[in-house]
This record gives sequence, C-alpha cells and structure tokens, in this order.
Amino acid sequence: MRSQQWLLDRQDLIRERQQDLVVLTEEEYQKIFIFFSNLIQILGEQLKLRQQVIATATVFFKRFYARNSLKCIDPLLLAPTCVFLASKVEEFGVISNSRLITTCQNVVKNKFSYAYTQEFPYRTNHILECEFYLLENLDCCLIVYQPYRPLLQLIQDIGQEDQLLALAWRVVNDSLRTDVCLLYPPYQIALGCLQIACVILQKDLKSWFAELNVDIEKIQEIARYVINLFELWKSYDEKKDIQSLLAKMPKPKTQPSR
Amino acid sequence: MDYDFKLKTASERAKVEDLFDYEGCKVGRGTYGHVYKARRKDGSDTRDYALKQIEGTGLSMSACREIALLRELKHSNVINLIRVFLSHTDRKVWLLFDYAEHDLWHIIKFHRAAKANKKPVMVPKGMVKSLLYQILDGIHYLHSNWVLHRDLKPANILVMGEGPERGRVKIADMGFARLFNAPLKPLADLDPVVVTFWYRAPELLLGARHYTKAIDIWAIGCIFAELLTSEPIFHCRQEDIKTSNPYHHDQLDRIFNVMGFPLEKDWEDIKKMPEHPTLLKDFKRANYSNCSLVKYMDRHKIKPDSKAFHLLQKLLLMDPTKRITSEQAMQDAYFQEEPLPTQDVFAGCQIPYPKREFLTDDDNEDKSENKARQNQPQNGNQGGQGDQGSHNHNHGPNAKRVRLAPPHPVSTSSGMSSQQQQQQQPEFHHVQQQQQQQQQQQHVSQPGMIYNSTSNTQQTPNFSQRF
Repeated sequence: MRSQQWLLDRQDLIRERQQDLVVLTEEEYQKIFIFFSNLIQILGEQLKLRQQVIATATVFFKRFYARNSLKCIDPLLLAPTCVFLASKVEEFGVISNSRLITTCQNVVKNKFSYAYTQEFPYRTNHILECEFYLLENLDCCLIVYQPYRPLLQLIQDIGQEDQLLALAWRVVNDSLRTDVCLLYPPYQIALGCLQIACVILQKDLKSWFAELNVDIEKIQEIARYVINLFELWKSYDEKKDIQSLLAKMPKPKTQPSR
Repeated sequence: MDYDFKLKTASERAKVEDLFDYEGCKVGRGTYGHVYKARRKDGSDTRDYALKQIEGTGLSMSACREIALLRELKHSNVINLIRVFLSHTDRKVWLLFDYAEHDLWHIIKFHRAAKANKKPVMVPKGMVKSLLYQILDGIHYLHSNWVLHRDLKPANILVMGEGPERGRVKIADMGFARLFNAPLKPLADLDPVVVTFWYRAPELLLGARHYTKAIDIWAIGCIFAELLTSEPIFHCRQEDIKTSNPYHHDQLDRIFNVMGFPLEKDWEDIKKMPEHPTLLKDFKRANYSNCSLVKYMDRHKIKPDSKAFHLLQKLLLMDPTKRITSEQAMQDAYFQEEPLPTQDVFAGCQIPYPKREFLTDDDNEDKSENKARQNQPQNGNQGGQGDQGSHNHNHGPNAKRVRLAPPHPVSTSSGMSSQQQQQQQPEFHHVQQQQQQQQQQQHVSQPGMIYNSTSNTQQTPNFSQRF
C-alpha cells in the first residue's frame, strides 16, 4: 500500500499558508486549528465514533487547509464534513444526515457557546456539496495511516506497560493539534509520542530507543512539536480568546466580489 | 463556501465528458452503475478504458470504500484505478480503469456453448493453471494487505485482451457494498435482483458472522472447479434476494451433494455455527453417503490422482480453519508441473473469445419483457469493472440460458503484442513494432491525477490444446 503523497515538508506548509499568515500570526493560526480539532473530537465523541475515525477526520481537515486558505471553506462546515467522510472510509457506517446536523447543532450550542453565539448554520446540502470539494482536494487519498497501531506494536515490544500505553496514546491524540501528522510518517510519530510519555513517567528507555533503527533526529523534532503545544496550552485560555480569533480569521465570500 | 474558490476549482476541474468519448459504448449495467468502453478524445493514446459511472448520486459508503481501497492497492492482478472524476453539477462519481476485454463469466460461457455444440475451443494447455495462479497471486496481495474480496465469482475475474497486458488476470469488484448494504437494495428497473450463492463458503451459509480470508479461498476453489469442468460446481436454483438470512437450504444441499456431508472429525467447529441446529433439523447425513468430490470431479474427467484435483481438494475444504491459504496454494506442486503458468494466460495464442458487445438502453431498461433476457449475454457483466449486484450472472447449466453460438466473429487483431508472436508470425512484425512503440509512449506520461501506471508484460511459450 502506498501513502507517500501526503507527507509534506515544512517549507511547503509555510508557503501554502502565506495567504492566511498575512492576517494571522503563526500562533493564532495554530490556536484556530486546536479549536477545530477539539470540535471534531467532541463531534466524534457525541456520534460515538472510535478514536481512529476521529483522528482520520482531523487529518482530512488539516490536509485540506494545508493546500487551501481558511477563506475557501468555513472550517465550521468542513469539520463535520470530515467527520462524515471519515466515518464512511473507516467502515463505521454512514451517519444519517439528520443525526449529523442535529449533533452539530447540539455541540455548537452546548459545548462551544463560548465561541459561537449563533446556532450551527449549515444543513445537509451544504455538507454534501462540501464533501465533493474535500474528496477532490484530498486527491481521493482516503486511507490514513495513524500512529495508534505502530504504538501498540512498540509497547508490546517493550513489554506490558499499561500506564505507558495509556499516556502515549493520549500524547498521540494531542499530536493531532500540531502539524506532525502532515510532516512525519505514523511510525515516527508513535515513537516521538512514546518518548514524551517516557519523560513524563520518568521511565528510562534510553537503551531500548538506542537499539531502534530510526532517525532519532526526526523523533526529537516530533517531540519538540508536542512540547511546544504543551507550552502553548499553559498560557492559553481558549474560552477567553477564541471569539476574537474566529473574528479575525479569513472568511469565505459567498457572493461574487465586485 | 467561497465564491472565488468555487469558480477557480470549477475552471481547473477536468470533466469526464471533455476528456473521453464513451457515448453509446455501454458495456455493462448492474446495481453498481454503468460501465462504458471509452477512448481519449485528444488522441494522446488510443487504448481502451473502462469508465464506471457509480449508481446513484453522491458518495455512498460502497463508492467511498471502493475509491479508498483501490487508490491504495497496486498489483498486476488487481484492477487498476487510474483516476476519479467528480461531477459536481449532477453529483455523479466516475471511475476510470484500464479496459479488460474478457472475464471468466464470458469465457466459461463460451466454453459451455462450444461444448454443447461439440465444437472444440483451442486454448493453451496451461490456461486454467495460469488463470488460477494469477487469481491466487492477486488475492494473496489483497489478503496480505488485510483486504478481503468478499464477492469472488467468475464475473469479477477480468482478463485483459490485446495490448501490453495481454492475457493478464485482473481481480475486480471487491465486495465493497456487500457488507454494508445487505440485503442489496433492488433497483426499480432491474428486479428481481438475484444474488449468486454458488461461491459462498459453507460457514457463511451456516451463519458465520464475519468475512474471512478462508471465505475468499472457497470461492477460488469454486472458480477453479468451474474452469476445469465448465460447470458451476455448486450450481443451485436461485431465488430473489429478499431476506438477509444467510442460511440457504438448497445451496447447502447442493454442496453436500457434491462434497458429501461433513464428518464431525473433519469440521469440529461446525457445532458452533449459528445455524447448526437448523442444519441438524433439515439434513440427514445418510442422504449424502454416496457423494464425494472425487466422484464429482471424476464424472467430469478430472482424475483424482491429478495435481489439479489435489489442489482443488485443499481449496474446497469444508472446515475454514483447514483450508489452504493463497500463499500455500501458490507453492503447490500443481504449479511446478509442466505446463508452467504463464503471464499471458493465452500464452501468445489467438484469443478465441468475442469482444464485449455494446448495450443499447432498451437492452436493460425494458423490464416488462421476458425475464429470460436477464440471463442473456448483453446483460451480463460486461465491463466487469463494477459488479456488485450480480443480478445477471445466473448462468445455470440450463441450456437455454446459454447462447449457443458466439455472437461475434473472433477479433482479428489478436496476437500482436508479444515477442513470441513476432517470432512465430513474422508477417505481423511491422505492425507489432508500431504497436509497441505506441504502448511505450502511453507509459511515458499522462496528464491529470494518475494513480497507477501499467507495466509491460513478457510472454512465454505456448501449447495449444482443448480447454
């Protein structure tokens, strides 16, 4: 199986984001993506989707904006569309249109009222239209390899380490709030997250890591991305800041510009 | 959604009708949609393509799975998805494949008809072996990537016609829909939808809840037997699919009539099957005491001491846990024995089978007429690149279902792609070179979202013999 097409490099990413980074700082840009990753996570949990499906939806979302400005499609529309498509790809089954829309309405109203004062504005026809654009922009690459499976294999190799697995798993979830899923293959991400979990639990696996035949520099880079995220979280109050960030974000113009 | 974004993407989007000629060239129709034989409009190459327009609008679960998996898979014996077209205006999804001129449904039907007419068909001695080997190779690839086919049957095994991949098996139509949309929804204009149970493993018929690799292997065994004898080994009267109940009395009866009733020591876990109580209630072992695969195949002139029979027996083991794997099967002595399998299953010989016919719209949309039409070839799985409904593959041994003579003269353009042929038929030398040059050019570069490229094939010696 092949899935190299969607491994981007840092320079590409910066270039593609130029348009949005005129309006937003890099940190603001990341905060917006953290917000929508959270929205996808909550949507997925409300729809009782497995973490794998939620992760795939998040990667779809990030891949779309890796090639397009936030202005092209309102992320509040793209987020549920990614969830809708991912659930079909992952054999979870088709989420009924009405259930998806109702869940969106409830989530926006009950969980994200600090961000949106108005109700969820989109209907089924918007999601279906958006889905075609998403599929097209993904170049029909729908199978996303996630770090979860390699992580399980690595933990197995270390020996039964339930605490370590649970923590590393959560770090992988957190890594979806960074760009690592666009830049590194899943196996490396699993290792990077595992390393962080080891540091947090003060577990010394240096000799185990040393025996792995991997590019340790890449693993360090991944760990750095995640640590930077943790640093950002320390001083960031999403509830307070998100409204102004969303207001600042480039938005679609649905009418022809004169 | 942004207006300028829509405008920009619309202007960049390639439309299938701008790039390909396919009007009036429909070669397949089923619950999966329509399949057309297509050519590039710009003439940048002259090869044939199969364009499948997926039934319905938007992105169904099965369309989604088909695109997702085919996009990742690449193997010379698995159908190659070249490109996807999304038509935003009518919300149609089109898939572009290499065109496969033949499939095992048509090939076997041709042999049955010839047999009924007592006319021999000249094909290479090793053709069945080559077909089986390539089917196993493709399935081994799918299985090692944890993709289960779930719907193997002759109509889904395509064979490439003249061209760079002459005589190459292509497995198509992984059962993307089967799992999710069971029971299949009949299309208004195609009722009743008939689903073939002939290739279903006994554990499925006894209520097994999950598809497994062993289920695909059973189906390959059925196809192998059918290639050897030209008869569907577990042929059974077919019913309209109205129930999602997997238990199918007549089909099990047929299997036991060929194989004999399974002994407890041969299939210990049969007791654990959900429908085992029904089985005990409905069947008596004594009724099948004279049945065995040895006897069945012997009646069809396949000797029980042949290598072919030995392999068949391992593919058709009742206990799924004992059934051979695709990898083991490929190592079987059958494939080490002369004639060895060839990449071109026709081994450079002339292809005796007719090309696919074009369908006209009334061929299939006129349902009020005679139901037997459903069984006629023009409704068969031509195009092949998209059978999921299988409403039209009930090719029973019933003679009237078979068209007795080939509807078309055999293609005259055969045998021009192999080097072997160059040696054997020097008069074609010049033409061949041209063709090869064209083929090479085709492989250089093609615009657009190209997913896979096709590779060239080599040829191996051939011995002509009856099928």
